[in-house]
Amino acid sequence: MMSEDNLKESGRSGAFIVSAQKRKMQKLAKTGGESILLLIASFVAIVVLFIFYFVAVDAVPYFQLRGFREFFTSSNWYPADEPGEFGALAIIYGSGMVTLGSTLLSVPMGIAAAICLSDILPFSVRQYAKPVIEMLAAIPSVAFGFFALVIFAPLLQTHGGPILMWAWWILAAPFLLLAVIILSDLLTAKIENQNRRQQISLVLLAVFGVGALAFLYWVGSVLQGMEIITGTNALNVSIILSFMALPTIVSVSEDALQAVGRDLREGSYALGATRAETIVKTVLPAASSGILAAVILGVMRALGETMVVWMASGNSSHIPEPWFNYLEAVRTLTATIAGDMGEADQVTGSARYHVLFAMGLLLLVISFICNLVSERIVVRQRKILSGQ
Amino acid sequence: MNLGTRKILDRSFTAVGFGSIAVMGIALLIVLVPIITNGIGSVFFTGTIEHRNMLFNEFGRGNREELAKENAASEVYRKQIYGMLSAFEAELETMDSEKKQDYLSKYGPVKTALQTLIGPLPGEAEAILTRYKYGQTRWGKAEEKLHEFLYETRWDNSNPDAMAKEYFVSQATEFEGTSLVKLFPFVEEHLEDVLRPRFTVYWGFLTDSSVDSHIFGGIWPEIQGTFFLAVGAMLFAFPLGVIAAIYFTEYAREGFFNSILRSANSTLAGVPSIVFGLFGLAFFINTLKVSESKSVLAGSLTLAIMILPTIIRAAEEAILSVPKTYKEASLSLGSTKWNTIMTVILPAALPGIITGGVISLGRAAGETAPIIFTAAVSVGSAIGLADVFSSPTPALSWNIYNLASEHEAAAEIRHVQYGMVLALVSIVLMLNLSAILLRARISKKLKG
Repeated sequence: MMSEDNLKESGRSGAFIVSAQKRKMQKLAKTGGESILLLIASFVAIVVLFIFYFVAVDAVPYFQLRGFREFFTSSNWYPADEPGEFGALAIIYGSGMVTLGSTLLSVPMGIAAAICLSDILPFSVRQYAKPVIEMLAAIPSVAFGFFALVIFAPLLQTHGGPILMWAWWILAAPFLLLAVIILSDLLTAKIENQNRRQQISLVLLAVFGVGALAFLYWVGSVLQGMEIITGTNALNVSIILSFMALPTIVSVSEDALQAVGRDLREGSYALGATRAETIVKTVLPAASSGILAAVILGVMRALGETMVVWMASGNSSHIPEPWFNYLEAVRTLTATIAGDMGEADQVTGSARYHVLFAMGLLLLVISFICNLVSERIVVRQRKILSGQ
Repeated sequence: MNLGTRKILDRSFTAVGFGSIAVMGIALLIVLVPIITNGIGSVFFTGTIEHRNMLFNEFGRGNREELAKENAASEVYRKQIYGMLSAFEAELETMDSEKKQDYLSKYGPVKTALQTLIGPLPGEAEAILTRYKYGQTRWGKAEEKLHEFLYETRWDNSNPDAMAKEYFVSQATEFEGTSLVKLFPFVEEHLEDVLRPRFTVYWGFLTDSSVDSHIFGGIWPEIQGTFFLAVGAMLFAFPLGVIAAIYFTEYAREGFFNSILRSANSTLAGVPSIVFGLFGLAFFINTLKVSESKSVLAGSLTLAIMILPTIIRAAEEAILSVPKTYKEASLSLGSTKWNTIMTVILPAALPGIITGGVISLGRAAGETAPIIFTAAVSVGSAIGLADVFSSPTPALSWNIYNLASEHEAAAEIRHVQYGMVLALVSIVLMLNLSAILLRARISKKLKG
């Protein structure tokens, strides 16, 4: 800044005449301003440290009181008893179960949708598909939870068998049909004579087709006969969570697919590959690490979700019988934290209060590791693709 | 492989992709359609005279004379019902004690069912809870209750292998041979005359506070609480986020320290929402003691931390998408770096930054887990602006959970729950939609 006097002395706009002192002041202001900016930017890092610190500080007393063994090995969760039991194994298992279930559903669908968005759909259609995904991502989790509890759970309970059967037919029938076609084609590939090959291929097609239909029908009727005791179970939650994880998986893997670039694709087309072959054999391997990062992010979304599992998982702390039975009620870490804090709050300092922070710490550590891994993967992929 | 097979594979591969996108669209529809159709029913529905009485008594709304006329018309039929009841009660006195006991035990539930249907019967003590002061306010619900009044539900446990089957026994047959038999067909036939259903538009659902924990009334306290929490979170997070984004894009030098900061940002984005709640409880309330216990302030701070990474990322992207030439032109004119940022880059990036902010606002409004321990209460009236530092508030997201899972009459107030979900979803989707439209305009503008 120039003072009035200075301006008068020089008789023109004095922007370029700056005394040494003023320059010093300017420099000071600049570094000062920059360090304030830096301070605000590092606010995020400070917050992350604080989160770890404050969750850990309240988690440690639990382990001091009860040790590590019970928490990780016992599945007796009776925090209200005197003395309480705090075996979280079944709860950790429940978290793992719904996360695995939702991942199994959302990953194939998410990757297929991402491929469709990046390679198949023309740009004009893509513009309309993207808002759909964004809207799916924007719906609040409690709305999904409400849907799962009030609409989906009763439906599953009353019409569970037929729903499962229809889902099985719709999902499995096209893939089995495809498998039959490929199988009969592969088995006859060695035959030289064109006519003979087609005949045998047709016969095989018919034989396998009937077999596949019988299989479809058999599994379908088994599913239809199933009686679902409770609609608030691991399957319900897994399906809803998979919808919630889908947008993350789709958008991150689409970015990874886009990053692969045209050259690789065009090279593959030039060699005579179809679009499917190009994508499966060329694009997907090149984008695999980015897609892996997408999957990890999707897993984190499902693992950290609270409201849906709290409302619709049944909240019963036991390991299902048999262990893969998705039709039983389960309980997860997040739902336990949300649900038990109300009662535990009044006795701050007790094991009952601190065990919830121990669960929070466990979630925090898992998500931190997942995040670190996915970040590494993305950085590595970027380096590989940019050819360094 | 056969060329034909390869073609089929290629086509089916495309079909799988289309199928996945279709599944997402269908999932969105399956979730949204019931919420929208049922949610609209909380404002537009066929209301009974009980609803109009409730509005008049609790909120002082409605035309007194018209209501009195309607009540008089309804009273004609009510009188007849009450007459039948007292006739039966007189008849009871003449029976021998065993028979009387038997009928009394059946008569109790009938009376209760009638009471929930058309409101308190004469000669009963004034109910303490408002919910017992009125009959069914919604015609749809009244028809359900009519069925409960006419038929007794029983469970068939005869087959031990299958689940018990539900079946209905007509109440009229239970009272065969007494004077009460006439009551059931009479109520069935004249329920419309008693309750006088009429199409109602109840905008008060959005602007009234609730009566008797959401049995009647509206959801204004929740809407206001959600607004306070989300806007409060933005007040903290938006300036911080934008400044941090300026630092990351314009000042940060590549290096170890910077990569740690970036890592911290993505770590914060990945923290499970319930852990934010734990942190808010342990830090803002138990350590900093920003308030005695739960408060809007503590909730807003917690939400602010949660949406900070989203805002930073969106602002960064917006700033980076400003063409380099703008900046260079400004610098070459002799303007300082800070000046360039404030007068050239930020205005150009502003629409993008606001888009990110709007999406974050929606996220803050919809989140539940972080406010469970820090800000939300189940019942409460709307709080004033001065109370945000000290008192907790009801909020849409939390109360949806609470009404659907923990309310003692959760099945009776589905319409309120649907209304709340629709309100929340439409707030969030509206914000997102405006962000999408804004972004489309920006990309058009940047293309020229």
